[in-house]
This record gives sequence, C-alpha cells and structure tokens, in this order.
Amino acid sequence: MASNLFQSRSWGKFTRNRFAVVSLGVILAYLLVAVASFVGVITLEDTQVRVLPDRTRGFLESSDLDKRSRDAQWFVERTSLRVQRAELAPESYERLMSELALRERRVADVPLERMAELIERAESQLDDLYDALDDRDEVLDEILFIDLELRRLGDSAEDAALASEMRSEREALLARVSDVDAAAETRIAAVEATILEIHPYPGGLGGLWYGVRTFLGSDAQGRSISMKAFYSIRIAFQVGLVVAVVCVIIGTVLGAAAGFFGGWVDYFVMYLVSVLSSIPTLVLLGVLVYMFFGHPLFDNPAERPGLALVPVYCAMCLTFWVSTCRVIRGEVMKIKNLEYVQAATSIGFGRVYILFKHVIPNTAHLMFINLSLLFIGAIKSEVILSFLGLGVKGQPSWGVMISQAKDDISVMFFWEVVTASVLMFGLVLAFNILSDALQDAFDPKHVS
Amino acid sequence: MWAFIIRKILYNVPVYVGVLVLVFLALRVQDPVYQYLGQEAGQEQIDQLRRSMGLDRPLPVQFGIYLREVVTFNFEAQSWNQRGTEVGEILKRSIVPSLSLTVPALVLSTVIGVFISLIAAYFRGRAPDRILMIAAVLGMSISFLVYIIFGQFFFAAVPREAGLGWWPFAVQGYEPWIVFGEGGGVYPGRWVTYCMLPVMISVIVSMGYDTRFYRAVMVEETGRDYITTAVAKGATKPKIMFVHMLKNAMIPVITRVMSTLPFVVIGSILLEMYFGIPGMGREIITAIINKDFPVIQAFVAVFALIFIASVILTDVLYAVVDPRVRLS
Repeated sequence: MASNLFQSRSWGKFTRNRFAVVSLGVILAYLLVAVASFVGVITLEDTQVRVLPDRTRGFLESSDLDKRSRDAQWFVERTSLRVQRAELAPESYERLMSELALRERRVADVPLERMAELIERAESQLDDLYDALDDRDEVLDEILFIDLELRRLGDSAEDAALASEMRSEREALLARVSDVDAAAETRIAAVEATILEIHPYPGGLGGLWYGVRTFLGSDAQGRSISMKAFYSIRIAFQVGLVVAVVCVIIGTVLGAAAGFFGGWVDYFVMYLVSVLSSIPTLVLLGVLVYMFFGHPLFDNPAERPGLALVPVYCAMCLTFWVSTCRVIRGEVMKIKNLEYVQAATSIGFGRVYILFKHVIPNTAHLMFINLSLLFIGAIKSEVILSFLGLGVKGQPSWGVMISQAKDDISVMFFWEVVTASVLMFGLVLAFNILSDALQDAFDPKHVS
Repeated sequence: MWAFIIRKILYNVPVYVGVLVLVFLALRVQDPVYQYLGQEAGQEQIDQLRRSMGLDRPLPVQFGIYLREVVTFNFEAQSWNQRGTEVGEILKRSIVPSLSLTVPALVLSTVIGVFISLIAAYFRGRAPDRILMIAAVLGMSISFLVYIIFGQFFFAAVPREAGLGWWPFAVQGYEPWIVFGEGGGVYPGRWVTYCMLPVMISVIVSMGYDTRFYRAVMVEETGRDYITTAVAKGATKPKIMFVHMLKNAMIPVITRVMSTLPFVVIGSILLEMYFGIPGMGREIITAIINKDFPVIQAFVAVFALIFIASVILTDVLYAVVDPRVRLS
C-alpha cells in the first residue's frame, strides 16, 4: 500500500512542491530533537534544575544594571552562606560547594581559605556597588522629583523664574547621570569578575552544553528555557503521533465500515459521530480529562510523569477520530460502486476481505492527509489544555511553559513565552504546509 | 417545510439523549464527591454531600433526575464551589456575557472573511491572492494563546500603563451593553471597553481558517455554468463576483458559519478565561478545574443543547436557501 503510494503521480507532484519538501525537512529536524529526548540526551531532570539566576535574558540581549546587580548579589549570597557553614565544619566543604553547581558550571576547585578570601572580596565589592547604585538612585530620584514639580507648576507665569531655575538644575543632573552610571558599571564589572573566579564557566564539551542550556535564558525559577522548550518538542510529538495514529485507525475502520456496509452499521457509527460532535471539543476534552482526576496511576505526575499523559491521549483519541471517520465514510461510499470492487465481489471474495484489501488501501491518501491534520489539532489542543491546567502535568510542554510565563510578561520578560510560541509556530506551520501540499497532490478536488 | 423541521428534531432527540448518557457516565467514572472533597474529608461530610446530589441512589434514578432537570430546564442543585448559588442562577447570569462576545465575533469574522476571500478570488493566482493566502497560513499557525497574551499586553496593558487615559481597551473585566442603574435609570454599558479587544482577537484568529475556506468556495463557484453565461452576456467582472457569485456562494457560507459555532465557543472559553469575562466557557472550565460536579453536569447538557439546536437551525436555513435539500 505504501510502496504504491510512493510511485504514484501524486507523490511526484508532492515532491516537486518545494515548500512541502522544506517543511518535511523542518519536521524531520524537530523529530531529531524529539528522538534525542527519547533516548535520554535531554532528560526531565534537565528541565527541572536551576542553571542561572531567575529570569535571565537570553543571547544578544544584555540585562540592565538592576538585574545584573541582583544576579551578582544572588551569586555572592548563596556562595557566602555555604562558605560560612564550611568554615564551621570544614569536612563538609566539598559537599556544600557541589550543591552550588549549576549543572556543568561548578564552583572553582580551590581550598576553603582561598574561597573565603574570594567571597570576602566579592562582598566588599558588592558593598561598593551598592554605594554606587545609591548615588545613581539619588540622582534619578531628584530628576523625577523635578519633573513632577515642573508638571505641577505648569505654565503659570509668576513661577517662570523658578521653573527655569529647576530646568537648569535638571540639565546638570542629567549630565551627572552618565557619570554615576559609569561608576556603577565599573563596580559591577568588578563584582562579576570575582564571581567568575568563584564560579568559572566550564570549558570544552561541558561548556558547550552549558551554552546550549543558557542561550535562551532562564525562567522565573532559574530553569533552562531551552531545555524546557526542547523537551516540549518530545511531548508534542508524543501527543501528536499517538493521537493522530490512533484516531486515523479508529476513524478509518469505523468510517470505512459505515460507508461500505451501510444499514445499521452506518446508523450506529453516524450516531456515535453525532453524539461526540454535539459537545464542543474543548468541553468534551475537559470532561474526559475530569474522568482521570486524582487517579493514583494516571494523575500522579510526581512519580509517573509518563502515565500522566494518558488522560490527554484518551480524551483526544475519543474526540478527534470523528472528522477522519466522516471523510473516509464519504470516500468509501464513492469507492464501493467502482468497477474493481464489483469485480472483486463477482469473483466471490468476502465482504470484509474486500473492505480491508481493496477499499481501505484506496483511502490511504486521505489517511495521510488526516494524519497531518490531526497532528496539528492534537498539538494545538494539548497546548490549550495545558494552559488551562487540564493537560500535561509534571513535565514541561509548550502550553505549560506559556502558562508559567504569563506573569513574566508584565515585567517585560518575554524569553519563555516567545521561545515556546516560536517553536510551536514552526512545527505547526510546517505541518500546515505539509497538509496543504498533501491535499493538493492527492485530493485536488477537496474544498478545505 | 414543517415536516422537514420535525423530522430533523426527531432525529436529534436520540443524539441528545446519547450525549446526556455519555456525560452522565463520564462524570461518574470516579466518585465525584471524593474528587471534590479529597482524601482528608470526613465520612459524615462525604455522606451529606452525596445525599444532597442524590448520588446515593441507584444509577437509573440518578439519570432520571438529571433528565428531569434538563427537560424542565430547571437546574436547582447548588454549586459545590460557589456555596449557596443554584446552578440555574450561574447559567442565567453567564449566558449574556458569552453571547456578547461570540455573536459580534461571528458576524464580524464572517463578513470580513467573505470580503477578503472575494478579493482573493478576484485576483486569483496573482500577487494579492498569493499574499493573502500566505498570510492566512501564517495566521493559522500562530497559537491562539499568543494572540491573546500579546494582544492583551500590547493593546490593553501597555497603553494603560503608559497613562493613556482615553485608551479604549481595558485589561480585564466585563460590563454589558446596557446597565440598569439603582434608581431605575438605564445607561449604556462600556461594552466597547471590555469586549471589543477580545472580539477583535477572535476575529483575527478565525480569519485564517475562514478566508481559506471561503476562497475555495468562491474559486469553485467560478467554474459554474451560470458564471459562463454571465460572462457571455457581457456582465462586468465585479458584477459577476459580487452579485451572481456571492448569492450562490451563500449556501456553503451558511453551513460554515454554523459549523464554526463550536470553534467560536472554544475560542471564547480561552478569551473569557484570560479577559475575565464571566461567561459560560469560563464557568465550565473553572468548574472542571475545581471539580464542581453539579455545574459541569448541567453546563455540558446546555452546551450540547445549544449545539444541537444550531445544527437543526443550519439544516433548516439550508433548506430555506436551497430547496433541493428538503426533498432528500
């Protein structure tokens, strides 16, 4: 059945469509990442462990002074706390330092005395930094105050002298801003240099991995955004493939049986289709997920993250086969009156044999198109369900990422939302183009 | 015509009963009382809640009660999560906000979608058509969530934050078209402030799907004989497009509008959740999250009823527009 498909004229038409081939390549690239996660290159642990301070921006976007000083403070505080403890109990020094590791990025391998020295230096530099920041804040506050005063004074004539005086004062303050900024800048650079001494970047392969982990920044709990996003690709493929394959199988068998046998089989299948399509999809999905709430096996993401996906699979498989069933039924009703089916009947083949051997293989093109369409539908629904808190639990997915990051938006931190949406956009777009191309090639008369 | 309508309704009665059975059983796969109260609940509390919903009676009796509630449209069970509120009360107060979101969105997206698809079909195969169709595929591929989150942030939160007092869109909340004041006065509600942005987002989201479908319809219509006739008699191209073709393309358009109703409902669920509009979608999703069994049970029944009614309405409209349908 498949080999016939690849030799058909339609397949040639499909491969001549450049967009389709490119989108197929994109899908393969995604698939590669998904497989990498399956074989254990990217593990669930990678997505749950801290690699950076909270909400660090990704590549090409530098953080502002406040964020950098907060990060510096975070680094120094967590190290100094453990150094103090190690000074009381030197035998635990190694263990305490290993707790500080941010995946590949470990604390420098130096004796305790040296570390204490470094921390002391960092702390004093941090104090200097605070002084510089205080100066800076003072200047900025003064400017803000003058602005408010000027607004209050407005254009009233009697205060014109006062206003002009304030304006010149404001100019002077503005000139100072760059000075205090530069002062803070040099001091923060000093602290960061010390922190790098305490917490050097790893070299070699580890450094490369650490770069992969950090190039898209970190989320509100310091976890790697890139790892979460890559792991989500696997979840998307898992959900998409399982749902699409199961739905196509159910839909094809039931739809073909309904179209081929007619009579009460047809009535029964169409009745099921009508019932299931009478409930809005998202509501039906919600109700079906509700069936599994609190189940010790299937709603236990902490211990069984794999099985926690089962409610999502079940809900979508029960919901989405309906569209495939309709399409296949219509096609089979056309096919069953064709000559080759009549010929097979007159030879004396059984009805079921004809159905599986002659009718269903001729709906293969529709199965492929529906596979692609259902894949998109499943991914999109998964994201929406997860966003509402009804979908994936205990592991990252694009929906979970977007829902976790929606509070970041109000503080102008877009890295997590944008990463998840861009990756999802790429995959859905590739599948959209692929379905269009499949449809054009194999089912040109179809009105989408 | 009446025979047709009655036949349609009679066909859909067993379908509706099937929906009710499905929902009824799905909600009882696990004990709903236990689901809601969790493991720490005392036996007394469980028993009391179970009795109050009649969950201690045999299944057929329970189904009878459910059926009676749905048929008489009298949902007097109390919500578990919102204590002291009847389900019917929640239903009543949430229908109008939902409709004030979905109806304008549906009308706008249909009108704009048909218009754009006519433009695309008019320039078929040329640059405007190509650009519109590429835009449609791109628009379809962006997640609904992205539209909502960024739409709200950039078109409501940022301008409000920046102190633009005249900015028309609010970040969250709802107010109906008409507000009845305390002294009996009637004021126009700030519908535009609260619902216009969600409506616009909904329209933009459905635009991709709609234009592609309508364009395909229009393109198919261009091959018909009556178009050839119109061309032969010398009608201008715009006249053919907007007069001859549009009328005949109305049949698939109506079907499409009706069949997008569930999509609009889904869309409005997310919009209602995010924009804080107290509509039906928001109620049912919060009910599912909170395991509020009486509300889920009643709301799904009502959703399905609305849906089936819209399906029947589609068929009837279809039969009105295209008399051939009645005969089959």
